[in-house]
Amino acid sequence: MTAREESFVALSVLLTGYDSVHLLGTGMAEQYLAILDSILPTGMVDDLLAAYQRLPQGPQREPAAAATILGDAKLGPVARNLIVLWYCGSWTQLPAAWRATYGAAPQDTTHAVSADAYQAGLQWLAAGAHPAGAKAQGYGAWALGPEGR
Amino acid sequence: MTSDTPFDAVIVGAGVAGALIAKQLTGAGLRVLLLEAGPGTSQSFNGYSRHLQQFYGATSKSAESPWPPAAAAPQPDSSDLRNNNGYFVQRGPDLYGSTYTRTWGGSTLHWLGVSLRMLPEDFRMHSRHGVGRDWPLGYNDLAPFYARAEHELGVSADVADQRYHGVSFAEDYDYPMQRVPLSYSDRVLGAAVDGMTVWFDHESFDLKVRSYPAARNSIPRGAYQPVGAVDLHDDGSSNPPLLGGRCQGNTSCTPICPVQAKYNAGKSLAQADRRYLTMLVQAVASKILVDPANGGVQGIEYKRYQDPASTRFTTAVAKGRVYILTAHAVENARLMLASGLTGPRGQVGQTLMDHPALYAWGLAPLAIGAFRGPQSSAGIEDLRGGAFRARHAAFRFDIGNDGWRSTTGAPDSTVSEAVMSQRLFGTALRDQLANLLSRQVRMSLAIEQLPDPANAVTVDPQYLDALGNPRPVISYHIDDYTKAGMVAASGVARALFRRAGVQDFSESGNGSWFPSVYYQGREFHYHGMGHFSGTHAMGDDPQQSVIDPDQRAWQHHNLFLAGSGSFPTMGTSNPTLTLAALALRTADHLVATLQQ
Repeated sequence: MTAREESFVALSVLLTGYDSVHLLGTGMAEQYLAILDSILPTGMVDDLLAAYQRLPQGPQREPAAAATILGDAKLGPVARNLIVLWYCGSWTQLPAAWRATYGAAPQDTTHAVSADAYQAGLQWLAAGAHPAGAKAQGYGAWALGPEGR
Repeated sequence: MTSDTPFDAVIVGAGVAGALIAKQLTGAGLRVLLLEAGPGTSQSFNGYSRHLQQFYGATSKSAESPWPPAAAAPQPDSSDLRNNNGYFVQRGPDLYGSTYTRTWGGSTLHWLGVSLRMLPEDFRMHSRHGVGRDWPLGYNDLAPFYARAEHELGVSADVADQRYHGVSFAEDYDYPMQRVPLSYSDRVLGAAVDGMTVWFDHESFDLKVRSYPAARNSIPRGAYQPVGAVDLHDDGSSNPPLLGGRCQGNTSCTPICPVQAKYNAGKSLAQADRRYLTMLVQAVASKILVDPANGGVQGIEYKRYQDPASTRFTTAVAKGRVYILTAHAVENARLMLASGLTGPRGQVGQTLMDHPALYAWGLAPLAIGAFRGPQSSAGIEDLRGGAFRARHAAFRFDIGNDGWRSTTGAPDSTVSEAVMSQRLFGTALRDQLANLLSRQVRMSLAIEQLPDPANAVTVDPQYLDALGNPRPVISYHIDDYTKAGMVAASGVARALFRRAGVQDFSESGNGSWFPSVYYQGREFHYHGMGHFSGTHAMGDDPQQSVIDPDQRAWQHHNLFLAGSGSFPTMGTSNPTLTLAALALRTADHLVATLQQ
């Protein structure tokens, strides 16, 4: 993995709340970084990664991320799209005002990224479930209580 | 008909009714030609798997998403509804909310699998409740065919759960497989709700969360062998099922069961005797050719296309001793009308019905494990019958295992709300999603609809599809009888949620768009259940019905119209099991007469 990819995964850990084992285990990290590179204006992904690298360590890390990444007019919508990408496997068209200011790529449409991305969505993991139509838990598993109950 | 006619029967449509009839007829050594308008890509396991991949990659995970239409055989799509710009030409005043699929296997490829019998009183709505009309058949006439249909489809249930509202079974009868286990959420809801009393005027009903009969493979009883995935090849050979012997809980009955543990019509076709069966896919029946002297059908013209992306076709005529339309309630009517066959007193296409359905959804007080198991495994059946049906519609509840997927588009919509609106990220986001998603509860409240001649499929030469076949033109409205049923059903759902401590989101405005009707100052968002019926209703009176109890057209001695289009009324049960029972009954009749 390149340093840039490592930085992307570390940023994704911060944004999604899942650790790097989970994220790398999806097998999607490289593809998602490539999607950002293809849809966003040149240099914007590196701006996002640079903003991540500037975050302080310690208890101020999350508030700083909220302010300088998610609260930033340029980087905020991109970071939120990245979260949805990890959770749902889909890209959401960026807000109209953002597109007007920073440029609209033709690929910036709301769409499912791929069959693999759908199945890798973290939302199913968060729900304690499985992607609808894939990775079934097996006959009768649904009669058992959710994890920990 | 001459003795050199190559086929005993020509069947139009490779859905459940056509498949069951083809299996029975070929099993009796009768030669069958089966025409299917759509592609045959679901016949092989590899082809079916490509449909699954299509679903995974689809932006909209609608019921149609794995099953795109061929250019020459268009079909309704739920995404067309809002702008009314799809295959259906909808004249209103209300929107008909349901869709179907034109492909080999038909809409059983994406049905839920609910296999309820109709109630005895459902067959006698006019005599018993003074509304609708009576069937020419009663529950006892159909009971043996229900039992056979339950074996053909592979239905899982325990008889002990299914005796209510007069539904009875032969002594020693039980379903071929044990009931599908109730989900954890069913049991939690049942613990809170069972025994809750509902009053309609002076009549009381005790509610119970009940396992419903499902055409999904479970643990077999006796010698019954569950039928798994289909793998038919062009040369007529087939492989035994590699998987699908048990439901795996993919939570994806609609739009596609990945392992085919759920019944689809392909399973019956795979069991047909191939020595006597000729199947033509991508063959769109376009006209019924009738002898004007006696009404007898002389052939069915069809348009064959080679490429699903193209509308180039060649025309041919299929000939048999009898002709059986099993193309779907709408397509049967459309083909008749396109051929100028309007039936006695112009009744073909009239009395179109559905189960307009409401959603109720909320958050359970504790995690109930949503998004696991078959899409649903239980319902509430206690309000399907009663004296109140003289005044308002009966209804049943389906209790989902799939969170708010159908109501709001969850889990994606829940993620989007948390990320885009609430600006959550990191562990706070993860914790919130874990908390909300696992508590999501959904019920579908499916409401009965009565036959009304004004609700109709017609054709209009100005609306044609790419092959020049007329598209279905639909007039539809939801009357006060059904709307009053909506009031009653939503009231019961609200009380049920309150009793179970479920925080009700049904009126929160966070639901996806659905069409609306208004009643007594209230707006009801409804969706279709895919339960098309009534378009060629059966009866005893050749003037008051299109077909007789054998599903033979009164005006055409060698033409049969089978399917839920034959229903005079539809009660509250999902129509597939009943139409399967009727198809088996008609198949018996055909075997007896054609073998003479």
